Amino acid sequence: MKDKKIILFFLFLAVLIFLPYIVSGYWLRVLTQTFLFASIATGSNIIIGFTGYPAFGNIAFFGVGAYVTGVMTTTYNVPFLVTLPFCALSGFVLAGILGIPILRLKGHYFAIATVGIMETIKEIVDNMVETTGGGMGLTLPIMVGEPEFIYKYFYYVMMLCMLLSVLICYIISRIKIGYALRAIRVDEDAASVMGINTPLYKTLAWAVSAALVGIAGGIYAYWLSYIDPHTVFGGTYPVKMFAMILLGGATTVTGPLIGAFILEIISELVWSKFIAIHGMVLGLLIICIILFIPKGIFETFKGGFSFRKLLNNLRENSL
Amino acid sequence: MVLLQVIINGLLLGGFYALIGIGFSLVWGVTNIINLAHGAIALLGAYLTYYLFVSIQLDPFLSIPLSFVSIFLFGYMLQRFVMNLVVKAQIFILLILTFGLEIFLVNFMTTFFSADFRSVTPSYAGESLVIGEIVIPYIRLAVFFVCVIFAIAMGLFLDKTWTGKAIKATSLDIEAAMMSGINPAKIYAITFGLGSAIAGVSGTLLTLTQAFSPSIAGGLTLRAFIVSILGGLGRIEGALLGGLILGVVETLSSYLIGESYKNAIAFGLMVLVLVLKPSGLMGRKYYAEVKH
Repeated sequence: MKDKKIILFFLFLAVLIFLPYIVSGYWLRVLTQTFLFASIATGSNIIIGFTGYPAFGNIAFFGVGAYVTGVMTTTYNVPFLVTLPFCALSGFVLAGILGIPILRLKGHYFAIATVGIMETIKEIVDNMVETTGGGMGLTLPIMVGEPEFIYKYFYYVMMLCMLLSVLICYIISRIKIGYALRAIRVDEDAASVMGINTPLYKTLAWAVSAALVGIAGGIYAYWLSYIDPHTVFGGTYPVKMFAMILLGGATTVTGPLIGAFILEIISELVWSKFIAIHGMVLGLLIICIILFIPKGIFETFKGGFSFRKLLNNLRENSL
Repeated sequence: MVLLQVIINGLLLGGFYALIGIGFSLVWGVTNIINLAHGAIALLGAYLTYYLFVSIQLDPFLSIPLSFVSIFLFGYMLQRFVMNLVVKAQIFILLILTFGLEIFLVNFMTTFFSADFRSVTPSYAGESLVIGEIVIPYIRLAVFFVCVIFAIAMGLFLDKTWTGKAIKATSLDIEAAMMSGINPAKIYAITFGLGSAIAGVSGTLLTLTQAFSPSIAGGLTLRAFIVSILGGLGRIEGALLGGLILGVVETLSSYLIGESYKNAIAFGLMVLVLVLKPSGLMGRKYYAEVKH
């Protein structure tokens, strides 16, 4: 079983590596977008799924990363790839500092505090007009080269970012910190009594998660070459990210990645058919995922697909 | 003198924030659902009022009962047939469900009512009460009083009627409430209906004081959120206090620091209260503790 999974993963990887030579530019773009979401979802899953802290505003660090790359490439003329470690660092430090007071909160209160942080950072960026361009947005230098090459370049960079997120998630799930986080998710008080330094591990988990999301933000900024506060802080990103995590299964390493692929491809197919009502369909889709497969498709359909399982899921959490 | 005018404006605005916060705080405190679609539901009330005004010239104040009843039914159905199915799930599942609902409603309104900014201006809109140098528009004063009346009525309903007491009982201890013959599914539906109905009324009042479009739904929800946190969950007095504080803080900070920082300051205040006193300024033990 285990070997089969690993072989499947590498097969999937091989397909992704050779895909740019087969598919059109449009699908290349869709896939790059999917990698972006997979990176965000996998990175955020460290705090959301592993640790059980619903960081609804985790996208704040995506915006921070995007602006770090944006400001560094425009104001200081730093090469794009050099900015990425700074994206990770800024996310790591910011989450580390904010985590100390905020991670004392639980449940709803934590979720809301992260949304508050997201909105506050957005407002601050919105007001730093000289460096960030404020609400007008920031135009980044466009990469030099053939369009074909640029498409492939971002495809591979984004894919590497996604693989890095998955790798770090995998490592974390294997070492001591992963077990500590799992203990915190199940019962924080008990974990604390067992001698786990819960504030340290929680903050560390959030910081790593923020760093990964920050890198994705940096790549996104250079890829689109235009960012503004309202798209990178918020929008539909948080809810899409959560839906992906849930669809794939929150406690697994590759779940969010698979969720991202399923949701993005569906979303893309729907988009082309119902442009006018796309938002409504997305809303309904999310509601249906929550109602019928809140545990993720793998957990739900372990022994094969059946409608009875969907109904059982529905019954489990009802009043 | 200008400062006094700013504070009065803040208090008048705060009345509206209190009303929108009451429904949110009630739903959260009782059913443990953070209703991210609260602002979108309020806008349903606003559009109802707008279309009644445009088509049959119905005065916005007279459409309050209509939006109360229709949005109550909408909220009741929603909780009874959708939310109750997942209400025991983990909190972020409920968060995403209501966010999905918000996306759906906002896009629904954008598609069918258009994204244009609308407002309702009855014939008496321009008149104001002038005391010395202080100017208070009659409409804002009336909106404030309607908000306070609704808050008081809501408080009385929760304290004096059987249904109100059942709502409080369910919020405090659901199992004990079930043992004394309360059907929580029904109580949850009534609570959500009431919360939505009050949101609908605040939407109706919104049409009188500012222009609205589906895009402001998120902003309204966030205000409701801050009000609930400041005051303490599930408590009417708390929401009233939280609303007034938020109103004054917002107008004062736009006057003293600048319009563009008012959201950051409101959120900063909220995070501060969350960290220092998570139960809110007037929160009590047992009200809206983390239940999962």
